[in-house]
Amino acid sequence: MTQEIDLSKLPPPAPYDEARDKAQRSRLAKAWQGPPGWKIVSAVNNSFIGKWYLLTSFAFFVFAGILALMIRVQLAAPNNDLFGQQLYNQLFTLHGTAMMFLFAVPIFEAVAILVLPEILGARDLPFPRLSAFGYWCFLIGGVFVCGSILFGVAPDGGWFMYTPLSSNEEYSGLGADIWLLGLSFIEVSSIAAAVELIVGVLKCRPPGMRLNLMPLYCWYVLVVAGMILFAFPPLIAGDLLLEMERAFGWAFFDVDRGGDPLLWQHLFWIFGHPEVYIIFLPSIALIATMLPTFAGRPMVGHSWIVLSAIGVAFLSFGLWVHHMFTTGLPEISLGFFSAASEAVAVPTGIQIFCFIATMLVSKVRPSVPMLFAGGALAIFVFGGLTGVMVALVPFDWQAHDSYFVVAHLHYTLIGGMLFPLMAGVCYWYPFVTQKAMNARASRWAFWLMFGGFNLAFLPMHWTGIMGMPRRVWTYDLTDGWAVLNMVSTVGAFVFATGFAVLAINVLWPRGKAPFVARNLWNAGTMEWAAEVPGKPWGVRSIPYIHTRYPLWEQPGLVDGIDRGEWFLPDAAEGKRELIVTDILDARPLHVQRVGGPTFLTLGSAFCLGAVFILATYHLWALALAFGAGFVGFTLWWLWTGTSEIPERPHKDAGRGLTLPTYAQGNRSPGWWAVFITMTGDMTAFMGLVFSYFFYWTALPDFPPAASQLPAFGGLLAGLAALIAAWLMTVAARSLLGQGARRAAMALLVGSVPVAAAGLGGWAWAAWAVGLDPTSHSFDAMVWMLILWMGLHLIPNAIMQIYVAARIWADICNPEYRADLMNLTLFGHFLALTAIVIFALLAVFPLMMGAA
Amino acid sequence: MRYESDKQPSRFGPPGYAPRVIDQGSVWIMVAAPTLWALHFVASYVVAAVWCARIGPSLTEPRWIIAGMAVVCVALIVWLATQAVRRYGGVFVIFEEITESSERGRDKFIGHVSLLLCILSGVAIAFTVIPGFVFGSC
Repeated sequence: MTQEIDLSKLPPPAPYDEARDKAQRSRLAKAWQGPPGWKIVSAVNNSFIGKWYLLTSFAFFVFAGILALMIRVQLAAPNNDLFGQQLYNQLFTLHGTAMMFLFAVPIFEAVAILVLPEILGARDLPFPRLSAFGYWCFLIGGVFVCGSILFGVAPDGGWFMYTPLSSNEEYSGLGADIWLLGLSFIEVSSIAAAVELIVGVLKCRPPGMRLNLMPLYCWYVLVVAGMILFAFPPLIAGDLLLEMERAFGWAFFDVDRGGDPLLWQHLFWIFGHPEVYIIFLPSIALIATMLPTFAGRPMVGHSWIVLSAIGVAFLSFGLWVHHMFTTGLPEISLGFFSAASEAVAVPTGIQIFCFIATMLVSKVRPSVPMLFAGGALAIFVFGGLTGVMVALVPFDWQAHDSYFVVAHLHYTLIGGMLFPLMAGVCYWYPFVTQKAMNARASRWAFWLMFGGFNLAFLPMHWTGIMGMPRRVWTYDLTDGWAVLNMVSTVGAFVFATGFAVLAINVLWPRGKAPFVARNLWNAGTMEWAAEVPGKPWGVRSIPYIHTRYPLWEQPGLVDGIDRGEWFLPDAAEGKRELIVTDILDARPLHVQRVGGPTFLTLGSAFCLGAVFILATYHLWALALAFGAGFVGFTLWWLWTGTSEIPERPHKDAGRGLTLPTYAQGNRSPGWWAVFITMTGDMTAFMGLVFSYFFYWTALPDFPPAASQLPAFGGLLAGLAALIAAWLMTVAARSLLGQGARRAAMALLVGSVPVAAAGLGGWAWAAWAVGLDPTSHSFDAMVWMLILWMGLHLIPNAIMQIYVAARIWADICNPEYRADLMNLTLFGHFLALTAIVIFALLAVFPLMMGAA
Repeated sequence: MRYESDKQPSRFGPPGYAPRVIDQGSVWIMVAAPTLWALHFVASYVVAAVWCARIGPSLTEPRWIIAGMAVVCVALIVWLATQAVRRYGGVFVIFEEITESSERGRDKFIGHVSLLLCILSGVAIAFTVIPGFVFGSC
């Protein structure tokens, strides 16, 4: 078995030497310093990207909040015609869309990118340039989607874009395309962040931070990033289906052509319900992180919170149909989802009880963050209880699509997400800026927000019960909702005032204000070990962690870190370096070099954004040109910034620890990133598989008679070629390992036409029997699965040639072959996809035909 | 190991040793029980949906299919729970303080969380079975 990391086995640190410390600090600063002046936009370090991400998300929050105030003004009085129905539809659609996709989810990523590395005692996340890329995608996509309202073409079909309203071009214009393409683009950045965060938590923990010692925040980040990986891809699959129907008339949701609008609801809510927890868990994680600080003791039931996070993550995937109780599904199906909706209250409740228990067994220090946390729990519990009410099918039939649901969802989201986030802002503000906020103004902000919120949303329970449907743009005096609506509007403005007070407090320039004391809250987690004033490198030396609350339980830790007594205290080669550790026990595995400032990611994100935006307007030629630009920038970025061959195979990481400077296969973070990305990709593919079987259950002629099935011979030949192409890549990997560079290159390049031939075989099989995607859902499904394969073969071909070129340039060689190993992993997933598609197109219809 | 770059630092393990999650059998147990819940949930949903769409309004047969699958899954979860207790040293405690910095400590923590997840998954599976016994027809 493995040896333990034993403190006593580490040699003692060298005696402190001021000159050495100074020299190390200046080298570290040189390596980690952000670029000067306007070039700052090329920064990739988490402290920059995290801050921008946070501010951008809040900007979208303010934008969506202004839309909400407009909604409230419109509803303030009966028969109001201030905005008109057309604009009103755009207002509520964009409000929901922006709050969910441009604020609630990105803010999780923003906070995590900002604080996770510091909580882990790491200098950065493993793929800083990927974070930067994700951020720029988010900014471009968000501005595009939000900006549409200024031109009067914002999406207006509600934030869940139900078909057939959204699939029929007569009822929905450009707005639906903007929604579909803009959000798909933003989902790319969410998945990029999820990959980054999962690898960060699993592989970049400080030496010694075993799973049982990992802070709760990290558990939540891991769980939520995992959820994103399984929740977002089905929506991407749904977006693809819907956009194909809108742009090219493929028959997926049109009942006349064998489609089914309910399929969209399934795909949307398979994403949409877990999303609620994707929003909720990371915010509750903030409370779980700050509560021990103010209670002055470790969290009661640390492991119970881990249990509840994992439990909620799973159960939340069994709730999606509770948004569809009124669609006429069999009652027994509704029963399952009702039961699961009740069950999820169990783990959710457990974590709340853990918080309460921690507060009970200790004397909680009163503070602004705790004020917000307390308000959050009160509001969230209220929203959770109405959630249990609407989880009951008979009650939901009464309350469905009424203001009761609007009230419920705002109580859960604002209590479960916004208030904890505000607590987090107040808690980490000194960590980010090293200045103190005005506590008095923050308390004012809290009471205005808390009071205003309840004033705005509590009456909506009654307006809902009295029959006011959501999304109506006006109502009549005789409906009897006028007074309650006016109260809600007043409350909304009070709430907004509170937020404005907080925002001014946060943004107030404090250049001359004194710095705060280091670790001013006396917290136990590592991010508070940061020096005041802040340094660009994050942590002076990466310590060995053997407790859950290192700053409380490891005396002298901070001094040791400052004196550079721990690992990687220097940047001798002038490179940005991290320690990569193993998943279970955080044993140091190797030193990872990460990329520094670059404009390449910016160019890459800009081109990809242009592709999506141009596709909205069906400008295919220009979109293609920018697509080529995207590929070019990305390849340039990868060629110059990844899998570099180190100048020496090992380096001294301090304290007698010598670590390799290169890793490949499943020891390299890159391999994990590919694995995780492809898991998400498989989930999107499962969304298509789900659609296939959904049609099969719903339609009598799916699959159709044997004469209309794609030709078996063509499908089989196609599969054979695709598998052959995969085997060629696998063979290239082992040949390169044996030193046969030329053979490996030949196999890699040669596999491209073989795979293309395989895809051609499939396309021929569908073409030969005259399958037309615009005529019937089966035909559309067959072509969609073939298209899916094609969409994967294009990047695959580019990567095959890229790796061959790397071998030719001797950057990927027999000893250092991480590129090829990652490519092979991609190939494994592709082969699996090919086999499943073959089973769906060839084997399953045969089995059904035989039956 | 063929190349220098494939080797691990000698201080923390035998040469060439790379810790592997699956080999040590250490983390999968945490997600195994909720995965069984998920499989049972999806299977129940599919059985009911296909039955109601294709066969008939009576729910007598699917009810017993779902209950049967639940028995199998709960049996597996019980087995997982015994593994969590015996192999990992998992215990059922409320005031958990498994903060020992050792492999055993990490195992005990995983065992403890797995045990809790086994209980939660068992309860959740029971929740899924109930509707079948409440509704007589689709």
